[in-house]
Amino acid sequence: MKNTNNDPYFIDFEERIKKVQSEMQREKIDVYLGSRLRTLSWTSDAFCPWRSFVVIPPEGKPTVFTFVIDAARIVRESWLDEDHVRGFAPMGGQDQIGQIADFILEHIPGGRGRVGIESGMSNYLPEGFLTHYEYEQYRDALEGCDLVNAHGIIDRLSLVKDEGTINRFREASRIVDVGHRAVFEAMKNGGWKGVTETELAGIAALAMRRAGSEWEWSFTGGNEIASGYRTGYAGGACTPPTRKELKEGEPLLVDIHAMFKLGLGDHAHNYFLGKATDRQMWHAQNFVKIVEATLKTYRAGISPSSLAEEMMALAEEGGFADFMVPGFEHGIGMMGDEWRIGLNDGPFPYWTNPEHVYQENEVLICAMQYACPDEEIGFRYENPIVITKSGCEITSKYPLGVETL
Amino acid sequence: MAESIKYLSSAWRDEAEKRLKADLNPEKMNRLTSSMSNIYKGCPDGKDRYLFIKFADGALAEFAVGEGDAPAAEFQITGDYATFAKISRAELGAQRALMSGKLKLKGNMVKALKLASVADRVNKIFATIPAEY
Repeated sequence: MKNTNNDPYFIDFEERIKKVQSEMQREKIDVYLGSRLRTLSWTSDAFCPWRSFVVIPPEGKPTVFTFVIDAARIVRESWLDEDHVRGFAPMGGQDQIGQIADFILEHIPGGRGRVGIESGMSNYLPEGFLTHYEYEQYRDALEGCDLVNAHGIIDRLSLVKDEGTINRFREASRIVDVGHRAVFEAMKNGGWKGVTETELAGIAALAMRRAGSEWEWSFTGGNEIASGYRTGYAGGACTPPTRKELKEGEPLLVDIHAMFKLGLGDHAHNYFLGKATDRQMWHAQNFVKIVEATLKTYRAGISPSSLAEEMMALAEEGGFADFMVPGFEHGIGMMGDEWRIGLNDGPFPYWTNPEHVYQENEVLICAMQYACPDEEIGFRYENPIVITKSGCEITSKYPLGVETL
Repeated sequence: MAESIKYLSSAWRDEAEKRLKADLNPEKMNRLTSSMSNIYKGCPDGKDRYLFIKFADGALAEFAVGEGDAPAAEFQITGDYATFAKISRAELGAQRALMSGKLKLKGNMVKALKLASVADRVNKIFATIPAEY
């Protein structure tokens, strides 16, 4: 399970931490206290599902602090040794505030210095910014230290992905494709009859786990399956599966997720169940057309707003702009890094800056939602892409289309 | 021996060391290499004291009691003398004392959990010494 430098998924975490420490020095930060899930994944190489913190000293390895019931596992699965993964629990000297504050002070001679923290907000629930209560407690326990917001350091360094990270995304996408093939095999020739959305989510999950996925990582119910009216919620793009049974003549949206070594697969494919009307097919053709155009447009140097303008013009020209949710991407990184693209430098704090200029080797989810609630029809496309100089690499290779099952 | 010895006195230390050596062996101690300091705050004479114990490959390597700063140890447990005394008299469990914040543990808890049973073996031996608190 350990990160070794002779496999394609190797990430040089020591070098990564040195870069953080160099930025800390530049910003005159003595110790960095990370609390976001994305920071934990990016610095430890382990999935930290419980409230966790990472303390990065001025030099040397970081130390992860997590709920004690999960600490021994993280020792095994991260690149860190037993001395750099600590458990916390409600015990004298071992609670997360007291223990971590004591640990931080060991790295701050005289108890006076600057501690970088992660403060902010997110529309992604498991983001993990320091809570108000935690902030107050650390502020009091670290009396003599200034707590300064410093998450920009991690955000900047994690924006462009290294080869090992990209390979993890490629593998997660390969696994997602296995899930899509399993769904197709199970649903073809009327196999969908009597099947519910939750069951279909499980069929995909089983196939992906057999192929090596660790879990269906999305907090939106794991695998998102929608059929009929649920595919076309106005402005909607979130469909945890329900017990709704699949029905003939309805659209079916299969948006599935796999995780491989904290790299995330996220690909949506769409179907019609049994039959489709000409009108439904017209919607499907519009959708495929705009997905194709979007994938051809992504490249280094463009921005979310320039792409959206171009694609919405295309939709307007095709007479289906009313059905497009006007967004074509969401951010992605190692587990815990979702939604916002790029840095927190846009007009609305903690949302994607529409003028963000894509760079080579950024990874994002090419994402779009087509929705016509009045006709109870909608389609979704999601696919992790790697931005290249002249285009993008599509990591999920499952053929684009809207098939009738 | 039936006479009570003053807890944490040099006589108590000698008796504790004798019993530790007699009752524990490297196998029973899981060939442990580690060290621990207990810091006793507010002893009856108003002073702070420590108990330091070190095992190397399961054998008792160092055992000391004293006043002032304790030697550096992998684990440090700090608490009031009265709390430690209650634990030694089996009136309070060590775990309960930690969970209620009466004792403060410093050190890697994941490692400490692995050592809980051997620490318990040591404490049980201390509890057999007739002591005056």
